[in-house]
Amino acid sequence: MDLLRVEHVTKRYANHTALGDVSLAIPQGSIYGLLGPNGAGKTTLIRIINRITAPDQGKVYLDGREIAPEDIYKIGYLPEERGLYKKMKVGEQALYFAMLKGMPRREAVRELRAWFTKFGIREWWDKRVEELSKGMAQKVQFIVTVLHRPQLLILDEPFSGFDPINANLLKEEILQLRDQGATVIFSTHNMASVEEICDHITLINHSRDILSGEVNDIRHRHGNNIFQVDFRGDREALRMALQEQCTLLEGAEEDSIYQSLKLHVADDARVRDVIALINEQVEIRSFREIIPSMNDIFIKAVAGELKTN
Amino acid sequence: MGKIGIIIQREFNERVRKRSFILTTILTPLLFIGIMVAPALLMRLKTSSDKRIEVVDRSGIVASQLKNGDKLIFQPSDRTPEQIKAARSAGEEESLFGILVIGADVMDNPKDVQLYTYESSTLEIETAISKRIAQILENEKLRQYDIDSLPQILEKVKTDVTLQAFRIDESGRDKESSSALSMGAAYLFGILIYLFVFLYGAMVMQGVIEEKSSKVLEIMVSSVKPYQLMMGKILGIATVAIVQFLIWIVVIFVGGSLAAHAFAGDLAAGAQAMQGSMPADMEGITPETLAAIRSATDPAFLAQIFGGFLVYFIGGYLLYAAMFAAIGSAVDNVADSQQLQLPVTIPMILAFLVMINVMKDPHSPLAVWFSMIPFTSPIIMVARIPYGVPVWQLVLSVVLLYGSFVGMVWVAGKIYRVGIFMYGKKPSFRELYKWIRYKY
Repeated sequence: MDLLRVEHVTKRYANHTALGDVSLAIPQGSIYGLLGPNGAGKTTLIRIINRITAPDQGKVYLDGREIAPEDIYKIGYLPEERGLYKKMKVGEQALYFAMLKGMPRREAVRELRAWFTKFGIREWWDKRVEELSKGMAQKVQFIVTVLHRPQLLILDEPFSGFDPINANLLKEEILQLRDQGATVIFSTHNMASVEEICDHITLINHSRDILSGEVNDIRHRHGNNIFQVDFRGDREALRMALQEQCTLLEGAEEDSIYQSLKLHVADDARVRDVIALINEQVEIRSFREIIPSMNDIFIKAVAGELKTN
Repeated sequence: MGKIGIIIQREFNERVRKRSFILTTILTPLLFIGIMVAPALLMRLKTSSDKRIEVVDRSGIVASQLKNGDKLIFQPSDRTPEQIKAARSAGEEESLFGILVIGADVMDNPKDVQLYTYESSTLEIETAISKRIAQILENEKLRQYDIDSLPQILEKVKTDVTLQAFRIDESGRDKESSSALSMGAAYLFGILIYLFVFLYGAMVMQGVIEEKSSKVLEIMVSSVKPYQLMMGKILGIATVAIVQFLIWIVVIFVGGSLAAHAFAGDLAAGAQAMQGSMPADMEGITPETLAAIRSATDPAFLAQIFGGFLVYFIGGYLLYAAMFAAIGSAVDNVADSQQLQLPVTIPMILAFLVMINVMKDPHSPLAVWFSMIPFTSPIIMVARIPYGVPVWQLVLSVVLLYGSFVGMVWVAGKIYRVGIFMYGKKPSFRELYKWIRYKY
C-alpha cells in the first residue's frame, strides 16, 4: 500500500521548468530517498507535497485520496534551511509550533517534556534559542517536526550539522519512527546514509526523475560484472589464465595477508567458469562482486553515463 | 483557538514582554509632555542680550521718539555711518549690534530706511523696528493736521474686538466652538496617526523580514497558510498598538487629574490673592479661551475625537500594515526595502501636506476628496473631525477605508506568498505585479 503517490507532476516557473512529469509511489512504512544535485527540483517537489505550492499539472494522493488542506497536519517537514525565532525561549517556541500543528496545549507540553528528556536537553527549556549551538537548535527542530506524530515525515538533509554521535542518535530515532508506522521522505546528498537507511530512492536531475527503485535492486542492476578475488599463490600464472575471459582492473582492495586482483568478467563469460579457472591456479580465500556504491551510481547517473529509466 | 489566534498571541506576548515596549510605553507620554513644555522652557531660557543700535537720523524726526524695548536699545548718533564703521573696525564699539540709517526725506519716502548689522538680524527684529518707525511717522503725519486734543481722540478710537464663535449643529442648536482648539486637535491627531501608522507598520515589515531571513518561515508554511501568517502578524501587532494606546490614555487621564489635584491648591491661593489686591480685570481669559475650555471638557466632543482617532488609526494601520507586510516578504533585509517603500511613504507624505491645507478650510473639495481616498483618509479625516463632518461622509470614508484594507490584504497576500520563498534578488515593481498574478 502506498502512502503517497505523486502522479505526473509538472511545475513551471516563468523561465524554467522546476519539475517535468515526475511520478513517485512511496510505500507505507518505508524510508524513501529523494536524491538529486542542487537545483534539480527536490525542494519544489517537497513544497508541492507540503501544499506550499500547487503543481501546474499532475496530482498528489495521500492514503489513496487527493491531498487536501487538512492533510498538512499529517505531515512533518524539516526544511533544509533551519530556522527558529532567536529571541524566543526553546520550550515556548516548541510549544508554539506544536500548537500550530493542531496539538492541544496540554498534550503538546507532555509530549515535548518526554522528547526533551529523551534527547537529554531538559535544561534548555527556558533558554533562548540564540544561546544554543547550531547542533542543539537542530535537535529542537527535529523534535518540533516529529512531535505531532505525523504519518509522513519529510526530512531535508536531517544529518547536516550533527556530530557522529548525535547523527547516530537521530538515525535511531528515524528508524524507530519508521517502525512505529511513519513513512519517511529523506532528501539528502549524503549517499552513505542513503545506503544505510533508505529502502527506495528516486533520483531527480534537471527536473526529471532519472532513476528510481529499491536501493538494493538499483545497486545490483548497476553492478558491472566487476569482482575481486583474494588468494594465495602465483599471481602471474593467474593473470595468464584469466586473460581470455576477463579484463584486469586497477584498484583492488589489497591487504597484506592475501594477494588481490580486481577483474571485469566479459559479458559472454560465465562467472562460475571464471571461478573454476581461478581455482585451478591459486588457493581462493574469497571471491565477491564489487557492487557500486550509491555515490558512484549518483555521480554516473547525473553525468549521464548510466543507462537510466 | 484558530491558527491566526495562536499567531496573534505569540506576536502579542513576544512584543509586550520586550524591554523596548515597556520603555516606549512609559517614555512616550513623557516625550509628549516634553514637547509641550519644551517651547515654554526654551522661551524662558532665551538669554540673548540687549541689542544696541546706533541711529543715524537724517530727518531729525524719528531718532528722538524711538522707544527702547524688546531687547532693542536705540542710541541717537551724530556720526555718519562711515565714522561708526571706522570706529568699529578700529576696535571700539565692540558691543554695537548695528546701525539704523533714516533718510532725510523719510516722511515722504518711507522706504528710505536701512539697517546695517554686524550679526545676522532676524525677521522679528526687522518687523519690530519698521513697526515702530511706521507708528512714529503716522503720528507725525496726524499731528501735521493740527487736530485739537488728538491724544484723547486716539485713545477713544482704540477698539479691541474678540469674536465669539458658534457652530450650528445638525439638530439646529448652536454650540460654542473654538477654532483654535479644533485646529490644535486636528494637528495633534493628524500627526499622531501619521507617526503611529508608520511606527507599527514598520514593525510588521521588520517582523516579516526577520522571519524570512532567519528561515523560520520555512517551518511555518508547512503548518500554516501564508495568508494566516500574514494576518496573524498584522492583527497581533494591532493588539499591541491598541493596548499601548489604552495604557497611554489611562496614564494621561490619571496624570492629568493628579496634576489638576496638585495645582488646585495653587489656584485657590491665586484666587484669594486676586480678590485682595488685583483688579477684577482677568487678563488672558478671553471668551475664546473659555469656549476652548468648555469644548475640551465636553464629553461628546472628546468621544467623537477619540473614537474617530481609534477607528481611523486602526483602519489606516491595517491598510498600510498589509502593504508593509508585502514589502517585507519581497526583500531579504531592511536596507533593500527602501525603494519598495515609496508607494507607502508618498501617499502618507501627501496626506500630511494636504492636512495643513485642510486645517485652513476643512470643508473644501480638496479636504473632502482626500478624506475619502483610503490612503489619505486616516490623516485627513481625523484632522477634519474636530471641525465637524457630515455623518454620510464619515460612513462612506470608513467603509472605503476598511473595504480597501480587505482588497489590499488580498493583493499583499499574493505578493507575500511568492515573496517569502524568494531569496537573494531585489525585486522590481514589475516583478511584484507578476507575483500578484501568479496562480497557486
